[in-house]
Amino acid sequence: MLPRLRIKGQRIWMLAALLIVAIIFSFCHIKITKVTIPASAKVGDVVPIQLDIDVSCNSDGSDKLILGVLMPKGWKGTQNLTATYRGSKGDGSFVMTPLSTLAPHGDGKNWPDYMRATFGIAGNLIDDMEWVVMQSDVPFTYGNNDKITGSIFLKLKVGADDNPALVKLAYVVANTTNGFTSDGNVDAGYGPTAEYYNEYIGDCFTVTGGSGDLVDFCNPQLTTISPPKSLDNDLVTITFDSNVANTALSGSSEVYLCATGTTNDGKTIIVCEQTSKTLMKLTGRGRYEITLWPRSFFGINDSQTVTNMTYYIRDKSGTKQVGYGNTAAPFTYKFKCG
Amino acid sequence: MNRFILFIAACICFLASCKVEEIAPVAEAPKNLTGRWKIVKATRNGTDITNVFDFTQFRLRFDSTGNYMLENRLPFLVNANGKYALDDPEYPFKLTLTPEGGSAVTTSLNYPTSAGVRLLNLSFVPGCELNAYIYTLSRDN
Repeated sequence: MLPRLRIKGQRIWMLAALLIVAIIFSFCHIKITKVTIPASAKVGDVVPIQLDIDVSCNSDGSDKLILGVLMPKGWKGTQNLTATYRGSKGDGSFVMTPLSTLAPHGDGKNWPDYMRATFGIAGNLIDDMEWVVMQSDVPFTYGNNDKITGSIFLKLKVGADDNPALVKLAYVVANTTNGFTSDGNVDAGYGPTAEYYNEYIGDCFTVTGGSGDLVDFCNPQLTTISPPKSLDNDLVTITFDSNVANTALSGSSEVYLCATGTTNDGKTIIVCEQTSKTLMKLTGRGRYEITLWPRSFFGINDSQTVTNMTYYIRDKSGTKQVGYGNTAAPFTYKFKCG
Repeated sequence: MNRFILFIAACICFLASCKVEEIAPVAEAPKNLTGRWKIVKATRNGTDITNVFDFTQFRLRFDSTGNYMLENRLPFLVNANGKYALDDPEYPFKLTLTPEGGSAVTTSLNYPTSAGVRLLNLSFVPGCELNAYIYTLSRDN
């Protein structure tokens, strides 16, 4: 039988070992604990948004705080978003992160591209969104086990494109050292996505007013158009998703586009035939699409432009059709870039 | 001894027969765009749309006198026939198309060879500024 090993001052050694482990493994967290935002706003309003933040780390260091906000491209966030902060480490403001600044661990991407690659468009259904990224004006210096709390106050002018919208805004906080990484040493109660960064996806936010068409990023649509913003000299893809709702076309084997274009000189051109020109190709279960060049599709001359279009989706006989929201009204689309 | 002298003399003659040959650098051949080109690939904002639209009828023809012609027009850099020019005939990086009655349009020229076939990549924005297209063309034999 082996003799029992007795170490003099065993408890002191154990405490020392635990201290060494704590120093080697930094247990950190950063979390957006609450977002306060009105449920709706009007086009052109400056919307106040408050993000409450909770940060801690059992090591010391110094980093700038990174803030990303996902919003429609048409809102021109780099021109219409400002932010300040107030917290236990001081007050200050955020400035736009230059696009030339590469994100740490971002494989050569800048911050907006890194956020896009990591978080996508946060469950929104129309890919016409961008991450607008800011950074604190000065670095935060933190000590071992500092408990930092604070708030970020955003002011966002919404609807610069003059379009009403339904959209899920999303927010990301991070620091300028760790990027969107995790080393697994996560504080109890926080997951790997709240160690060095954290994302918060809001509910659908409503913007009313404006002269444009409603852009619904939140809810599945019977039809979508890609690119979301285009002119009549773009190639435009119209997709019909019959899975969204039971419609008069449910069960139809072939569907066709029935479109009316309006030109800048006030002419109306109807293309509503059931031929190969208007046939929408089946691309998946219940999904059909057609890509067209509006100038050619409507047959306009060089001095004309197509300014807007209304359309229905019809069956092969031309007697059954689906319109906006599954009603008798047509889908509408304006050819514009803003 | 005589053999040794003969051997040395032969070596001297052999070495003396060498002369420095100056090789002039070979000039890079001018890039020749002349011919009829067809679209083999098209992307819109990075998404391949080659198979969702009929690009097969479009042709772009360059002649040896600096003219270009469009057949079966599509969204493109220009919408009328005209003149073309390269910024450097040997090492071109830019292609300029000047349509009749219109302004010159310049685009970056990418002229790769793939599987022994010379390709022409042209990028342009025909509509909204955010919507970028790239057509890859090959010669239509």
